[in-house]
Amino acid sequence: MDKVKNTEELKVLQSTLRKAAEEAASSKVVIKIAMATCSIASGSKPVLDFFKEEMPRQPLEFIIKSTGCTGLCHSEPTVEVTLPGKAPVMFGHVDVKKAAAIVNDYIKGGKPVEGTVEVCRS
Amino acid sequence: MTCSINQQIINEKIVEICSEFKNDPDELIAILHKAQGHFGFLPSEVQQAVAEQLHIPVSKVFGVVTFYSYFTMEPKGKYPISICMGTACYVKGAEKVLHEFESKLKIKNGQTTSDGRFSLNTLRCIGACGLAPVVMIGEKVYGGVKPEDAGKIISEYPA
Amino acid sequence: MKAQQLKIALRNCGFIDPEEIQDYIANEGYLALASSLSGSRQAVIETIKKSGLRGRGGGGFATGLKWEFAAKPEADRKFVVCNADEGDPGAFMDRAVLEGDPHSVLEAMAICGYAIGADEGYIYIRAEYPLAIKRLRIAIAQAEEAGLLGENILNSGFSFKIKLKYGAGAFVCGEETALIKSMEGHRGEPVSKPPFPATKGYRGKPTNVNNVETFANVPAIINRGADWFAAIGTEKSKGTKVFALAGKVKKVGLVEVPMGTTLRQLIYEIGGGILGDKQFQAVQTGGPSGGCLTVKHLDTPIDYESLIAAGSMMGSGGMIVMDEDDCMVAVAQFYLDFTMEESCGKCVPCREGNKALYNILHKITHGEGTMADIDRLKELAVVIKSTSLCGLGQTAPNPVLSTINNFYDDYVQHIVDKKCRAKRCRALLEYRVVEENCIGCGACKRACPADAITGELKQKHFIDQEKCIKCGACHQKCKFNAIAID
Repeated sequence: MDKVKNTEELKVLQSTLRKAAEEAASSKVVIKIAMATCSIASGSKPVLDFFKEEMPRQPLEFIIKSTGCTGLCHSEPTVEVTLPGKAPVMFGHVDVKKAAAIVNDYIKGGKPVEGTVEVCRS
Repeated sequence: MTCSINQQIINEKIVEICSEFKNDPDELIAILHKAQGHFGFLPSEVQQAVAEQLHIPVSKVFGVVTFYSYFTMEPKGKYPISICMGTACYVKGAEKVLHEFESKLKIKNGQTTSDGRFSLNTLRCIGACGLAPVVMIGEKVYGGVKPEDAGKIISEYPA
Repeated sequence: MKAQQLKIALRNCGFIDPEEIQDYIANEGYLALASSLSGSRQAVIETIKKSGLRGRGGGGFATGLKWEFAAKPEADRKFVVCNADEGDPGAFMDRAVLEGDPHSVLEAMAICGYAIGADEGYIYIRAEYPLAIKRLRIAIAQAEEAGLLGENILNSGFSFKIKLKYGAGAFVCGEETALIKSMEGHRGEPVSKPPFPATKGYRGKPTNVNNVETFANVPAIINRGADWFAAIGTEKSKGTKVFALAGKVKKVGLVEVPMGTTLRQLIYEIGGGILGDKQFQAVQTGGPSGGCLTVKHLDTPIDYESLIAAGSMMGSGGMIVMDEDDCMVAVAQFYLDFTMEESCGKCVPCREGNKALYNILHKITHGEGTMADIDRLKELAVVIKSTSLCGLGQTAPNPVLSTINNFYDDYVQHIVDKKCRAKRCRALLEYRVVEENCIGCGACKRACPADAITGELKQKHFIDQEKCIKCGACHQKCKFNAIAID
């Protein structure tokens, strides 16, 4: 990343990044996988690998992000999926099998997948 | 435990580590972390070499090594097993898990098996309370461990 | 209405990629630093003072005031230290913040550096947190590359560097003078205050120490204003608090709630109630320095003063829920085992006193206690609390006092009846054969390591209480529910 030289530049950068994120959210599938110590311990790594391998095979534009702790220890590993223009949905206790169901049923088919978790946002 | 590492090799490595930290006694803990990362433990030979290099008394190094629970003067097993004894793990039955590992491995908490394969330790909370009770082997974390899982977990680690 | 979480310190955790500075910048990142740098140092301190933010590591000291103390002295060097040596067993909010949103801590430390006139910061972090360390290193490198840390930040003339220092496993290092000793490469033994670190801290220079969660609140306060923050919470405790809700609760997790939320709301509405719908018995807050609260405290609002008044304390935010199967005397012993081992040994009341407390508790849980022991525990506890050098010793007897106050009957039962209601204290258990269920298979007899079980095949078996070592092997082996525990 280039050096941010002053406050003005920071503000410009910020609105550019925010716009890019908003545009991405309106046109792409955003998949966030929690990758904190406890998520990893409950098995989030194979789930992340699965999405990284499976999504490029789909005729969809997507972004995969690894995030930190969602605070939902009771439901780790957790995966949040945001379909273009839709509200984000958080899935709990995701293993590779459930991840496949999320791709096939929810992301491709728009059908609900069981085992979603309520999330508090700031 | 006798130390089988050659004193000259120790000295060379310690000179290298200490110079990374500009031989600054303020960095003693960082130096000990690095030395333990390299040798696996901190026998008195290593402590002496560090003291000489930093021009501080060896008693000071010993005092620091024994103060912090992360430092050990005993070599750990090839697969170090740590049972979390944080409060969350304790109330979910970590004591029973520890007892089962002790009886399966035929060693007590703090000991290493005679073949050097496993060592058994308890530690204070690794911060994965959501998964309590938690057992760590090397870097791998096992969550929701029941006493009866001990045998299966141990069998994952071949000689 | 059901109690709701409110995320300030955890605002980005789980939502952004902690290894991408762009994600942080897109979410108001480093804007608070930029706006702080465009105003005066005093203005930053005033904002923090006005917000009412208090230390989230346990003590609850006013953060703005602390910054002001460190800003006052003239010195050639000053330091900002972030205490990330999360040692309270049962708390992991600092780890979550560092793993999920490291830049918020870096930004806050830079703001603090500007406010007090320091250009160096250290994060003292547990070596047991490898992932947090890795993400902090990435974050520091990215912030330096972007010019948001380092020389002449945003062309303001202010420079700030952050380095990591590793802890090595010593609970007492949560005490700021002990932490500073440890940073200097010594044993982490506390020293008496004054002088406070604000005047004479790391390397003898003015030093401001705050904990991770405290820092994580700072950018949000600067961005949204002191009044916004001060409007959340109670009269004396502003903002939110993060809790690591663990133990026998359905929804174990990391939660952030406005100060003033009650324990009941937290455990039942946010935590979903007790695991297996068992009976709630106690909730432990404040870790080894706190206490066990009971049903009558469930409607206590969570704030610094109310928790102290109830006989516990806020602490760093560990919250362990216990059900009917937990023995409160054993829990007190568990905490004393912890403080006894973690006592640095420098002052006598803490070193010897806590050991004596532990020994008495050990006697009681092993059926050798007397009623006079309860008075001895109380007397010792008062002496330790009032004469120990640092916070560790001054609070160590709290788990004992709070369990005596709230679960007196349990102590009496252990001492007089030699029984443990929760069946946790092994020495007080009695294993016996339930004759109507015993088919005489002999499995228990073969499992018994003490040869305490007699009986012929297909005959009722019998356990000799004199020989029984109470290991429970027979109970585990019996498939016919023929071994009862009393």
